[in-house]
Amino acid sequence: MIVVDHVTKRYGHTVALRDLSFEVPAGVITGFLGPNGSGKSTTMRVIMGLDAPQQGRATINGKTYRELSSPLHEVGALLDAKSVHPGRTARNHLRAMAASNGISRSRCDDVLEFVGLTAVANRRVGEFSLGMSQRLGIAVALLGDPGVLLFDEPINGLDPEGIRWIREVFRTLAAEGRTILVSSHLMSEMALTADQVIVIGRGSFITRGTVDDLTSAAAQDVLVRSQDNARLADAISAAGGTTSPGPGGSLQVAVLDAATVGQLALRESIALSELTPVRASLEDVFMELTASATDYTSSPGAADV
Amino acid sequence: MSEPTVRAAVRFEWVKFRTVRSTPIGYAVTVLLTIGLGILITFAIRSHWHTMDPIARFAFDPVSTSLAGTLFAQFAVGVIGILFITSEYASGSIRATLAAIPQRWRVVTAKVLVLGVTTLIVSEVVVLAAFLIGQRIYAGVVPTATLGGPGVARSVILGGAYLALLALLGLGLGLIIRHQSAAISVYTSLLLIVPIIVIILPSSWQNTVARFEPSALGRSMMSVTPSSNMFSAWPATTVLAIYVAAILVVATVLIERRDA
Repeated sequence: MIVVDHVTKRYGHTVALRDLSFEVPAGVITGFLGPNGSGKSTTMRVIMGLDAPQQGRATINGKTYRELSSPLHEVGALLDAKSVHPGRTARNHLRAMAASNGISRSRCDDVLEFVGLTAVANRRVGEFSLGMSQRLGIAVALLGDPGVLLFDEPINGLDPEGIRWIREVFRTLAAEGRTILVSSHLMSEMALTADQVIVIGRGSFITRGTVDDLTSAAAQDVLVRSQDNARLADAISAAGGTTSPGPGGSLQVAVLDAATVGQLALRESIALSELTPVRASLEDVFMELTASATDYTSSPGAADV
Repeated sequence: MSEPTVRAAVRFEWVKFRTVRSTPIGYAVTVLLTIGLGILITFAIRSHWHTMDPIARFAFDPVSTSLAGTLFAQFAVGVIGILFITSEYASGSIRATLAAIPQRWRVVTAKVLVLGVTTLIVSEVVVLAAFLIGQRIYAGVVPTATLGGPGVARSVILGGAYLALLALLGLGLGLIIRHQSAAISVYTSLLLIVPIIVIILPSSWQNTVARFEPSALGRSMMSVTPSSNMFSAWPATTVLAIYVAAILVVATVLIERRDA
């Protein structure tokens, strides 16, 4: 389990993380969502002990990263796929990393096989495509067979085949009971891979839950068609709703739900030809959650942290 | 618990050190400069020996002149030391290193051991070769020295130690500065520009200050009989070792405190 406990991180006058707290439960895939610049990478670096927060701390299985004596056996991380000396071969990079934590050479060959890089293991990393570098990064993360895995924007820059492969890898690793934290700025991606998500914005916690929870909690519009849109619109406004022209002569209603709109129409004796709740898209939900990030210090979802 | 981890860190750094091309290239340049320039310099002295003035002939040191190539090779070993750490900052692989070994002083310790021992071994062999080749070139024309002569073996051994210490100086500067080109500039300034600044000083100061320059310390270490206002060999070695240790201590404190 990963615990981020009241972490504040400033770089000069820039506040990257403000009093950020959350827990990543063991044995599931947790998506770590936020727009670019919201502090996801900084959080990852703080968890990895690379950057020191001014306040608070992050622990993995109860210890800060710097307290781990053989960290690759406990935590595997892919923070930046390109952060390998370009002149070194993939195999030598793995062998060096393995030597640092007393991991056998045969394990290097195993993880190379797992990520499908055996054929290019003796090529210099500088010649690798981004997709190949991501695979190498995953191989490094898996070297010590750790129970906790961190991936920072792992699908960035991957082609569709690479994205599909990485999703399969996550499922395989999660099925083995590992704790996985994957950051992304794409909610739709997290809907496909994560069991639950944590959302941050401007360095602050916003909410957490399953993707379904977040979507259903978000405001839903109602699309309505009637014989007299103008009169219906007046009735809706009077009841506190707002309307806007929808597609094909329909009326898009916000604030009120479908049942209320139906009752209003009945009361006004306006015949309806269509009444459809419009589920917000994942990206809409995400935008809505993070747009006013600065106004949030916590949210209803924060209570169950 | 700490010792096996330092050992693992040394193995880690050793694999990294020998698997990039800059390491063998750097040592090849060290060999080339020490031996190659040694050959050129000793040949030049041999061919001008009969026209040299008697005072110069009287003060002539066949040992330090045969080792003069080290004063050029010092730039090669310094760059090896600088690249050993700045290449990690340039590529971002420092984060992988610190993820593998989060106790940062262990990373510094391992790098010091790997770089120091490797450079010492290479340098001792190369410096000995430069000495032997130089004496062979001098033979018959110019007075020569043998390893058994007073202070000769010491000069040869400290010549290798000088290069190893300068490699560590480069590593320390690289750790503090983190940018390759800036670290190389500072390193070469220390060796080339500081002596020029000293020349500008009043001569009374010069006599006290000049002996403390790194390259002057190197000349003291390799001289059988250092000149009067220079350190003799062992004190020079001690002063240089203190410089290097101080820089490495500062570097360790900084890497422990700074964000990676």
